[in-house]
Amino acid sequence: MPLEKPVLCQRIPTPPWGDPADRVLIDYKQYIETDGYQALDKALETAPINVVEQIKAAEVRGRGGAGFPAGMKWSFLPPEDGQRRYLAINADESEPATFKDRLLLDFDPHQVIEGIAICMHACRLDTAYFYIRGEYHHQREIFEKSVREAYDQKIFGPQAKLGKINDRWPDLFVHRGAGAYICGEETGLLESLEGKRGWPRIKPPFPAVAGAFSRPTIVNNVETLACIPHVIANGSDWFKTLGKGRPDGAPAHVPASFGTKLFGISGPVIKPDVYEEHLGVKMSYVIEQLAGGLQPGRKYKAAIPGGISMGVVGPDEYDCELDFDIGKRHNILGLGTACITVIPEDVSMVAVARNIARFFAHESCGQCTPCREGTTWMYKILSRIETGDGSTGDLDLLLELAGSMGIMSGTTICGLADGANWAVQTILNKFWSEFESAVSRPRNVSLAVAGT
Amino acid sequence: MAWIAKNSATAQIERRDEPYLDDTLKARLEDEVIGRYPRRQAATLPVLHAIQEKYGYIPYQAIEETGDLLGVSASEVLDTATFYEEFFLEPKGRYTIWICQSISCEILGEPSLTEQVSKHLGIQPGQTTSDGKYTLMKVECLGACGGAPCALVNETLHENIGAGNLEQVLDSLE
Ligand SMILES: Cc1cc2nc3c(=O)[nH]c(=O)nc-3n(C[C@H](O)[C@H](O)[C@H](O)COP(=O)(O)O)c2cc1C
Ligand code: SF4
Ligand code: FES
Repeated sequence: MPLEKPVLCQRIPTPPWGDPADRVLIDYKQYIETDGYQALDKALETAPINVVEQIKAAEVRGRGGAGFPAGMKWSFLPPEDGQRRYLAINADESEPATFKDRLLLDFDPHQVIEGIAICMHACRLDTAYFYIRGEYHHQREIFEKSVREAYDQKIFGPQAKLGKINDRWPDLFVHRGAGAYICGEETGLLESLEGKRGWPRIKPPFPAVAGAFSRPTIVNNVETLACIPHVIANGSDWFKTLGKGRPDGAPAHVPASFGTKLFGISGPVIKPDVYEEHLGVKMSYVIEQLAGGLQPGRKYKAAIPGGISMGVVGPDEYDCELDFDIGKRHNILGLGTACITVIPEDVSMVAVARNIARFFAHESCGQCTPCREGTTWMYKILSRIETGDGSTGDLDLLLELAGSMGIMSGTTICGLADGANWAVQTILNKFWSEFESAVSRPRNVSLAVAGT
Repeated sequence: MAWIAKNSATAQIERRDEPYLDDTLKARLEDEVIGRYPRRQAATLPVLHAIQEKYGYIPYQAIEETGDLLGVSASEVLDTATFYEEFFLEPKGRYTIWICQSISCEILGEPSLTEQVSKHLGIQPGQTTSDGKYTLMKVECLGACGGAPCALVNETLHENIGAGNLEQVLDSLE
């Protein structure tokens, strides 16, 4: 059943409820007039631990890619010791094909700020750093302006209504990145925040125990935090009426896919944009009903349903349901950022794989050999296949290389390598015959070689 | 690529008498930025951004001055500066064009866009025109995939770029 009323997009006109042409920036005044900051007031009347319990009960899962339950993450924090504790908001949004957080930042930044304030209250975090990717110039300006409004309204700063936390008045600072995908990985982000290169850290310790400046730190995605005010305002039971419940027969500790989700869609569709729907919506519904279908003359061949790190779904998976369990059902890494790229029939999967491998080769931070060397090697092999110089052995080599990198295979520090692994493996496995015919074409032998 | 180290051991640094981080800039950074962090080194990125904003790039001497300001060695600042794609250690054009080459943009025509712009300006990606006006760069996803193909010109985003559009924009710049 389609979503009746938008949640995250209630102030951002979005089809089918509104026209994107009517979108305007919601400032503090308009936010208040539309019941904004009431959830914060409600949270401030509630003991912090009970706020955490509510988020836990709602089973809000992280919207940044990994789907980790937010309430559980919050409860990993050690007891307060009077010293500083941090919140790092992940607004690095650099996963190719992903542009969902941007919608919230462009039009409804106070929704995010309210979530930040509630999280700081619940988790007893005194300082928040909003880590925004360097290329989001417009979004950074808007957010800085909105933060100033929040200071003026005493949400942060001296005499803030949050009160003193860890014996300090709470602060929210914007920290600008400088163009590095790896700074979206939570510990790469923390290193970057500390003024260093964004080299992910070996875990444990996890950030909740020793994060920014070696102090307890919560890292959450923009969209995750934007969900928080709605849970507090309407209750966790309400949140669980949205989205998709636990798979049949699964025990209560298996996390479900509750809530709504922002789905971005790009590629050759009529109305590429960000839409809101229940978690578990069919991809075909997003493509046809929300994005208006493919452009005339183009036909669906495959899609990347959640950012390139997750891998692809093929022609027979057009109806796949977009929830946190999609990975198990469709043999991909997971839901990721839930931003879809539609690949039409006229685009070669070899070119898609080459583009993706180049991305990872370019963005690997270089710490782990399998990732640094493997991604570049895969890129070279795929380029050679694309120009017609590949051999059958190259396909096995690609699979072997891909399979040898990642935290899941235990050879790398962070998940970037798993993304490269899954992207290449799923494309190759699901489109094997296309690759086979690409390597069995007569090879282009250069004259110089032929002459010797 | 972030992990390509630049040989700095034997590098000759061009120097000038006047500091890049002058007293006004220093005071502003001290006031508005450095105090936000419990450790001074954490202000490295904002300080480098401020320098690049003012001078168009980050001269080596300014790297040393950043180290002095933040109480870390120049090599640590250099280590950070070379990691990030947005920081230029050499002068670049007044206008930097960043064309997105990631998946959604490639599917919707980035290769021909890059080729046309490159031809129009007479430079390859990574190069600067001889009059110092334009630098052409290819980047990964700009987070504007709904408007693919897209490009940033300095801080302005251009979306759904059709044939000839970007060249027109570039020609109209002072
Ligand atoms: C290579 C890599 C890149 C990532 N990039 C982002 C990103 O741009 N934005 C984001 O929110 N999370 C990103 N993540 C996920 C974060 O590590 C982390 O799980 C997330 O920010 C936690 O927030 P959440 O639980 O609210 O989703 C990335 C992870 C990896 C491995
Ligand atoms: S897996 Fe790749 S990106 Fe992640 S830490 Fe290792 S080298 Fe860096
Ligand atoms: S793929 Fe080009 S902006 Fe995202």
